[in-house]
Amino acid sequence: MVNEMIIQTVQLTKKYRGRPAVDQLNLEIAKGDIYGFLGPNGAGKTTTIRMLLGLIQPTSGSISIFGRELKRNKLHILRRIGSLVESPSYYGHLSATENLEAIRRILDVPKSRIDEVLDIVSLTKEARRPVKGFSLGMKQRLGIAASLLGNPELLILDEPTNGLDPSGIHEIRELIKRMPEQYGITVLVSSHLLGEMEQMAHKVGIIREGRMIFQDTIDHLRLQAAHDIQLVVSEPDAAIWIARDLGQTGTLQEGIMTFPGMKDAQIAHLVKRLVENGHAIYRVEQTKKSLEDIFMQVIGEGA
Amino acid sequence: MMLRSLRSDLLKIRRKGLWFLVVAAPLGLVAMQGLNFGLRYDYLSDRYKEDLWGGLISNINPFIPMALFLGCTLVSSLAANIEHQMSSWKQLLALPISRSAVFLAKLLLCVLLLTVSCVLLPFFTAGLGFLLGFQSPLPLSDLLGMGFYPYLAAWPLLALQLWLSVTFRNQALPVSLGVGAAVISPFMGNLSEWLPLNWPMLALVEASRLIFIISGVVLGIVLALLSLAHFNRKDVD
Repeated sequence: MVNEMIIQTVQLTKKYRGRPAVDQLNLEIAKGDIYGFLGPNGAGKTTTIRMLLGLIQPTSGSISIFGRELKRNKLHILRRIGSLVESPSYYGHLSATENLEAIRRILDVPKSRIDEVLDIVSLTKEARRPVKGFSLGMKQRLGIAASLLGNPELLILDEPTNGLDPSGIHEIRELIKRMPEQYGITVLVSSHLLGEMEQMAHKVGIIREGRMIFQDTIDHLRLQAAHDIQLVVSEPDAAIWIARDLGQTGTLQEGIMTFPGMKDAQIAHLVKRLVENGHAIYRVEQTKKSLEDIFMQVIGEGA
Repeated sequence: MMLRSLRSDLLKIRRKGLWFLVVAAPLGLVAMQGLNFGLRYDYLSDRYKEDLWGGLISNINPFIPMALFLGCTLVSSLAANIEHQMSSWKQLLALPISRSAVFLAKLLLCVLLLTVSCVLLPFFTAGLGFLLGFQSPLPLSDLLGMGFYPYLAAWPLLALQLWLSVTFRNQALPVSLGVGAAVISPFMGNLSEWLPLNWPMLALVEASRLIFIISGVVLGIVLALLSLAHFNRKDVD
């Protein structure tokens, strides 16, 4: 039961006129995860999600969800998935309740479920108004309500916070965070903003130009990034030359030496040599890079 | 599964004016003749004194095929546009329902709406006849014929329009084509009997109407199945 895979794709590829939009993607999402699917606009996130929902056909590769192949068990699998793809889909002339009823008639779940999901996204008060008068945040929440209607085990949300104001983003984020805890739902959520993912996702997959370039926990992503090391010593002018002898090119500014991307062993070696040479070491610090910097670094690699 | 989708569609067309259109179209056709007969009742009742009902029906008939073409165009465009408008196809097709069920429910919805129009037409016509003081017996077979023969013969256009409306997000193309077909249809009568555009009129006036009705239904079903096959495999954006 450890790490039961909910979604697994193998070499998933989609080509448009010979150009790959998604290229040999191996996606792995475990049960109970909130998986953040990240990448710049046009990286292939939406294309991947549409393939996961059977909206478009992969050119090659396979998708299995809940341990079954999507192609052969599409309706069974879709029965257990709730989704929200990109811009909100709704019927503007109908009220929120009627919108959900239109979907409920297809899902064939009890009518009481409509009030339940409206309550989850706090739209109960607005339920009778035509949806065309809703704010974008409310429409997006209605979309999430619709995705929850069928009691899904997996929620696939494509850019659910796109275009929302900060309070709207906050609401949606809190909503998503509750899903695994309260309802045992696994969540795949895509975004082009890492900062947003940092606050809700356990695991992230980063894609760029259709290829997966990083897939692991957020903590691993932090570790993977090269950090700067800052040293403050008694005689920095001499110390920087000792470092250079060891092959570490640093910069000296206001008595602080800064070395980019040093490994643990190299730091230890440098400190040892400085002590041997009679320097007093006041501070050895690691400067924290923001996740956004790390994201840019990961995305930039191989460009 | 298709019925569930149809029930969902029936909810979605609320307040979209489709039901109004469905009632207004036959009412309009009959009202036009109400005006015609009302303004020159003496002349027309003298001209058709042998067969007053036949006279009324024969005055309505020429307009039926054109009205049907317009009806097919508008009903299928409105039915498809409900999903196009706020890009609901992706939401609808990610639900656990087969694409066939979704498409056939749309087709059934159009058939249902147009059938209501075609049932109402004979009723309104009979109503006008009585209003004008025509006597019983009612020409039942002629009345039913005006309602259903041309309608069944128009199925190919209905299937084509639905396919175009569902396929193209921009409804300008299907609507222009459909309205264009409706407008030129009265002038196509001299052309071949093989032209499906002529079948509704031929089904209305020809003694050998059965062949046109059957051809219409068969070609309509064939086109609908082809559209279905396309819908089943197309990528949804």
